Amino acid sequence: MVDLSQYLPILIFLVIALGLSTLFVFLPMATARLTGVYNPTAEKLSEYECGFPAFEDARSQFDVKFYLVAISFIIFDLEAAFLFPWAVSLGVTGWVGWTGMMIFLGILAIGLAYEWKIGALDWD
Amino acid sequence: MTEFFVSLGMAYGAAWFLATVLGILLIALPLMLAVAMVIYVDRKVWAAVALRRGPNVVGPFGLLQSFADGLKVFLQETIVPSAANRGLFLIAPIITFTVALLGWAVVPFGPEAVLADINVGLLYILAVSSLGVYGVVIAGWASNSKYPFFSALRAAAQMISYEVSIGFIIVCVILWAGTFNMNGIIAAQQGHGLGVINAFVVNPLLFPLFVMFLISALAETARAPFDLTEAESELVAGYQTEYSSMSFALFWLGEYANVLLMCALLAILFFGGWLPPVDWAPLYLVPGWIWLFAKIFFFFFVFSLIKATVPRFRYDQLMRLGWKVFLPLSLFFIVINSGWLMATGHFGAGS
Amino acid sequence: MIQLFAFYMFATIVILAAVMVILARNPVHSVLWLILAFFNAAGLMVLVGAEFVAVLLVIVYVGAVAVLFLFVVMMLDIDVASMRAGFVRNAPLGFAVALVLLAEMVLGFGAYRAGGLALGTPAAPSQALPGLSNIQNVGALLYTRYVFLFEMAGLILLVAMIGAIVLTHRDRRGSAARQDIARQIGRKPVDATVMTRPKVGEGVEL
Repeated sequence: MVDLSQYLPILIFLVIALGLSTLFVFLPMATARLTGVYNPTAEKLSEYECGFPAFEDARSQFDVKFYLVAISFIIFDLEAAFLFPWAVSLGVTGWVGWTGMMIFLGILAIGLAYEWKIGALDWD
Repeated sequence: MTEFFVSLGMAYGAAWFLATVLGILLIALPLMLAVAMVIYVDRKVWAAVALRRGPNVVGPFGLLQSFADGLKVFLQETIVPSAANRGLFLIAPIITFTVALLGWAVVPFGPEAVLADINVGLLYILAVSSLGVYGVVIAGWASNSKYPFFSALRAAAQMISYEVSIGFIIVCVILWAGTFNMNGIIAAQQGHGLGVINAFVVNPLLFPLFVMFLISALAETARAPFDLTEAESELVAGYQTEYSSMSFALFWLGEYANVLLMCALLAILFFGGWLPPVDWAPLYLVPGWIWLFAKIFFFFFVFSLIKATVPRFRYDQLMRLGWKVFLPLSLFFIVINSGWLMATGHFGAGS
Repeated sequence: MIQLFAFYMFATIVILAAVMVILARNPVHSVLWLILAFFNAAGLMVLVGAEFVAVLLVIVYVGAVAVLFLFVVMMLDIDVASMRAGFVRNAPLGFAVALVLLAEMVLGFGAYRAGGLALGTPAAPSQALPGLSNIQNVGALLYTRYVFLFEMAGLILLVAMIGAIVLTHRDRRGSAARQDIARQIGRKPVDATVMTRPKVGEGVEL
């Protein structure tokens, strides 16, 4: 059965880690104001560009290929999600489970082969 | 530790809480110290390969260099660009660093010395490391500047591409170990090689996966030769371009903490974690955490050497390696490994 | 006590984050609130003892699906002002849909609680196998009794993969410069270089 007392440390860890990193971000901001290093100017606060004001909005549209990578990732991640319980329960499911997974992998291998063939895995 | 506080006359609940908080601090603070030292090691190795001296002024042998850098960075001004989304801009380094620390909650430092001994420990690490992408993407987007934005896109696509093969490689290790519990995985490696060597890596069916995991770990943490997210010749400093002061340093700390976590994973999954390398009774007298740290340090040294010697990949080469080489190969090895284990009756009653 | 406290904390944050998903003006902020909601839902899953589901929720939804959402939202480069313009015009329609949904839910739950419907009886919940962890129990059922549904999931994933490629892939194999690594490595000095010994004053003819 699930031992919830093993999960509580993770929650406490999360709180402590969040606190630590928040402190690391905001404490220097406070000290900078106290020591007088804090001295923003319009030039300093402008975004980085090679010596001229930016021509256009930084958040431009980008290639649809990134979308394809993300969706391929979801599919293979789900495949991995199916593999996790399979890997630890083979002792119970035996050859039935093994054969079932091989068929599943075969189906997705077809998809991978199709992606490969059509050039969706090429990056250019 | 809880027993110790109970013996001091505390109530069990309070003793448990105090012990847990102490345990967390015992992980988090030495980790930050380790990161500082590891950055120093990284620079020294890099310098040695390039026949330079590296940091050698602050403290003996320059040992205190990282602390001097930390102090300098701490006293600097935090610049938030006027075009940036202020809130998200400051949240991004917090996410990166928190996530980098969080993975260590399930890493076992000894048979008993593990903060959260959960059944799904390895999956937990996988889940936490998949969160790392958000710090980078949010940083790049919130900066509202061109180079960070490009870098964030690259980083996201790169990290998710290699997470796929990491997931499949983990499945192969799990097939042999039979559990997702970190201590269980380590225990399964005892005497794995001919009954004497405590490591999965000597298994010929797992060795190729170790190599793939090592390379995927480099790509997942965006270390050289896969550091395309901060390729200075094209993207200035990547998603960190607009950052300054401690928020900048947090990305560095987070990055190195992630690298150390990957080294720890390599040690735990393939090299027997806190077990001594050879199953020989006198070696067990050495505390487990020393073995683990030695292995982590060894892998970090390998990472450093790779950074110093291998030229950077191009983005299309990186994607090709991830999707066209590692993905099919790791799938193939799942079939081979599970088939072998089924055929040899490793699972006993199943067949 | 701690579990109760944790439950209310997670539940409150889930609901608040879900509300913020709708209310946030910037779509990127919406996605980030959604991630927070997923994350706390995973916490709730841990509390009911479904640790594997909790981890999967983080790996699949936070680690993969939300990345895709973020890509889409960032890629679309939505003009927030123009999107807000249709808000008032479409509000009545939205309310009507919400009302219909609410009515249906109330009816459905009411009928279910009244026990008047016997559309199907749930199979007896299978007993957990003793001595096995959460994940192993999931596996033991999924790959034996529900193996057919599992293969169906594989087919659906295949369809999703092909669909995504058909929708987004543009073949540029002709136009872009491409690296053929096998050919590069297979190239030998003999193919690329010529050794000549030209006479003085005559030059080389290639």
